Amino acid sequence: MLLQLNHIYKWVKQGGKRVFLLNDISLDVEEGEFISIMGPSGSGKSTLLNVIGMLDEFQEGEYMFLDESVHTLKEKHRSKLYKEYIGFVFQAYHLIDELTVYENIETPLLYKNIKSSERKALVADMLDRFNIVGKKDLFPAQLSGGQQQLVGIARALIAKPKLILADEPTGNLNSKQGEEIMELFKELNQEGVTIIQATHSESNAAYGNRIIHLLDGSKQHQASN
Amino acid sequence: MIKNYINIAWRNLLKNKLSGIITIGGLAIGLTACTLILFYVAHERSYDSFHADSDRMYTVEAQVNMGGDTIYMNAMNATVGALTENASPAVASSLRLKDEYKPVILTNTQQPGTRFSEKNFSYADANFFDFFSFKLLKDSKTEALARPYSLVLSQDMAKKYFGNQNPIGESISVRKDSTYLFTVTGVMENTPSNSSIHPDFVASLSSMLTMNEYKRDFDSEAFRLGAFPTYLKLNNASDVKTVQKTMQELSTQGNADATDVYSLSLLTDKHLNGRDASNTRYISIFPLIAVLILILALVNYLSLSTARASLRSKEIGVRKVNGASRKSVAFQFYIESTLYVLLAFVVSVALSVILKPWFFGILGIEIDAVFFLNSTFLGILAGLLVFTILATGFYPALVMSAFNPVENLRSSRASKTGGVRLRKVCTTVQFVIAIALLVSGIIIHQQLDFVRGVDTGLNRSDVVMLPLQKTMGTNSTPFRNEIEKLSQVTNTAVTQYPIYKGYNMFFVSSEQMPDAIGLPIFAVDDDFFQTLDVNWELKPEDEHYYSKSEHVVINEAAISKFKLGSNPIGESLLFGNSKREIIGVVKDFHFENLDAPINALALFVNSKTQATTNILGKSGGCLFVRFQPDSDVSQLLSQMEAIYTQYDSATPFEYQFLDDAFDAMFRSEERLSQVFNLFIILAMLIAGLGLFALATFSAQQRVKELGVRKVLGASVIQLTTLLSFDFLKLILLAILIASPLAWYFMHLWLQDFNYKTTIHWWVFLGAGTGAMALAILTVSFQAIKAALANPVKSLRTE
Repeated sequence: MLLQLNHIYKWVKQGGKRVFLLNDISLDVEEGEFISIMGPSGSGKSTLLNVIGMLDEFQEGEYMFLDESVHTLKEKHRSKLYKEYIGFVFQAYHLIDELTVYENIETPLLYKNIKSSERKALVADMLDRFNIVGKKDLFPAQLSGGQQQLVGIARALIAKPKLILADEPTGNLNSKQGEEIMELFKELNQEGVTIIQATHSESNAAYGNRIIHLLDGSKQHQASN
Repeated sequence: MIKNYINIAWRNLLKNKLSGIITIGGLAIGLTACTLILFYVAHERSYDSFHADSDRMYTVEAQVNMGGDTIYMNAMNATVGALTENASPAVASSLRLKDEYKPVILTNTQQPGTRFSEKNFSYADANFFDFFSFKLLKDSKTEALARPYSLVLSQDMAKKYFGNQNPIGESISVRKDSTYLFTVTGVMENTPSNSSIHPDFVASLSSMLTMNEYKRDFDSEAFRLGAFPTYLKLNNASDVKTVQKTMQELSTQGNADATDVYSLSLLTDKHLNGRDASNTRYISIFPLIAVLILILALVNYLSLSTARASLRSKEIGVRKVNGASRKSVAFQFYIESTLYVLLAFVVSVALSVILKPWFFGILGIEIDAVFFLNSTFLGILAGLLVFTILATGFYPALVMSAFNPVENLRSSRASKTGGVRLRKVCTTVQFVIAIALLVSGIIIHQQLDFVRGVDTGLNRSDVVMLPLQKTMGTNSTPFRNEIEKLSQVTNTAVTQYPIYKGYNMFFVSSEQMPDAIGLPIFAVDDDFFQTLDVNWELKPEDEHYYSKSEHVVINEAAISKFKLGSNPIGESLLFGNSKREIIGVVKDFHFENLDAPINALALFVNSKTQATTNILGKSGGCLFVRFQPDSDVSQLLSQMEAIYTQYDSATPFEYQFLDDAFDAMFRSEERLSQVFNLFIILAMLIAGLGLFALATFSAQQRVKELGVRKVLGASVIQLTTLLSFDFLKLILLAILIASPLAWYFMHLWLQDFNYKTTIHWWVFLGAGTGAMALAILTVSFQAIKAALANPVKSLRTE
């Protein structure tokens, strides 16, 4: 078991009333799964990903990640945990504009205090794998959306995470680019990386081996194929 | 890691060039001001500390009570140093160092053409170079001043008199009343600018034993006051009390009635805490201004970097998601601040070097360039650098590291409110400082104008003073005659000394005041009153009153000081043993610093012929020349110089306008005013730059709001007002805070003055309007630009 959510509640107060962002969410994720979270805007997809990614807090419930209870961990310990095991991919890529492709991919390694020579080798591997060696000295603004997302994924993978959280990774891409990215995710999943993606698109969701439907913060039903 | 941080900081700088330049420029300006002031203050504080034993070198001072006035004297009898040294084992050595009071005329005997009037000529004991740490460049240490009529020249003077020739063994003639021949026995390094002792020529003090002018100064063996400033070096600084006690005993040994109190004061204190503080009067205000300017620059940096922070929020979010801890983000911003500060520092050092001559020109002081490498100064500078890095990095690091990644990455909602309140506070603080400086500067300027315009009882304009030397001698009569014949000259008068520069003192008593009081004396001729427009209170009836023997003219202040009757004509004052009858009273006029009320004064009036021969010629007095108001002054001066050289070729021609001499008494205020002018400009510049950058950010951040408003029908003027008003409110607040502050401090400052200007309300209004105008100018530029933008475009960028 990679992670387990038990009866997670998250809400914000609006005019004295609780508005639930996540309403009694329970979820078990095994290693090697590829899960798609679907639902309309505002249904809580991103919030759920953020909670799983330990970027966001929740008010009630339990969260176990690799047998550690995340909800009781201190901030420092938690960040160590996600630094080690989780990579993020965003709809808007979120590359650092002032850093080159190479430096963007390198960033997570800096925060893991990896030695310079080792960093070089790791980044070079990643550039090679994604076929973007020739683009390593370009800045994000000089790349197409699909290329930027490739860099985003390369950055998420560089620290060799067990879990990739992807929040509408193809949302800003055209259909061809989107398909390429999804094929890449499939490949990664086959190599053993667990992937949880949030998406609007039925066809993208179909890449996953499990689909979770969210509406107003609640799980609707579970289907598997 | 650090490389990555420096990279991104550098690229950010390049990307936001304008705000980068403003941030670094503002900081550089502030640091430059700080550096220059620190340089100045460190130099002033370092006076005389370069001597090896400066911590135990003392000057001997005596406190003398004369007629109720306490007077401090530093000239001791020739024996005082040696007597103390013999009597007290705590004294390591003593030194007598006597300066020539008036310029002397020096000639290289080989080249009679090299003849100059020299002011910094001193006589010193043979141990001069052991006692002080001045370096002898040529000749051995002990020999240089051992024999009578030896002379050591400074490097500059060796060059001036001998060019590149070796001066050792050459002769220089020194002309006083008589002419003496000195042999050059050494060349010493030029004295550093932070030395309170700065002779260009040091002659052996033993020469004075056989010089007619000084022989008598050695007559007495007693421990008492005399003619020689005396320095002591103690074995231990803690022995001061013991030595003072020994000196007190020595002084009463010979004369049981002696009441003079002898004391030692540290040589290093002489410059700053000496009796004449005019140089350093505002030494404590300057650092305060430096701190204010630095605060201004730091606040500017702070407000700009928080403004930038909102643009950086995404990056920080990404970094955190990728595993950056709060600590590493804080560290990143420290690196960034360090880079900015280092750049600003480099710029400021360059600026300081460039501006140094100009800045110290304004202050009217010279500082050796080598002082830039003085270890204390470099230490202070390093401290300033570290402080600036810590101070600038602190807040951005703290604030930005706390950003929540989830919020920052929710793309449409960059943290817009971040630091807005802080930036408002920053802007207000900046303008409080700038406006307070502006108001203070205006008031200082007004005060200067005011004291210059005070009716001091004599007419200073269109008068030039020509100080003569004894070398004029009997030529003084034809000289004066020819000056008077010049068509532009209306009047001339003779006094012993140039006015505002000093006077003789007599100890005088009256019947009503039997205890002698120190009374300043002017020896003048009868043209004095007309030439300087000094008015009579009680004019002598006899037109030739001055021919009467044993008379005196006094001023009004003397009447009350000596408790004379309201019509004191016919009463007399006792000058030592000679009694003088009061024959006239003049209205009070200022003859010294305006800080104190007008002192009592006595005038010995001579006939014109007598004054010209005796005061002007024989003893080297001063000729006052009044000329017509519309005269061609430079032509007049060259005419006078021609006449002068015709009658006295030995001493160079010198002159000073009376109003310049008067203004010179306000030099420290003048400096203060000029420094204020400079810093007002800097403060306004920094504050203006900061405001400009903030307006830019604010316009950027409100692009969407402005677009929506414009679509809804807002006019350009309405939008400009909307954007500007936010800032103008802050300036208004700053005016309200700064005005009472400035009023309070200026009010305190004015308390030191005998004559003070009133602080007018319109000064505050004027300064406020000025600041407001500056703010409107800077803000509206950005506001109009933002308001003119096409809303379709600005809305699409969201």
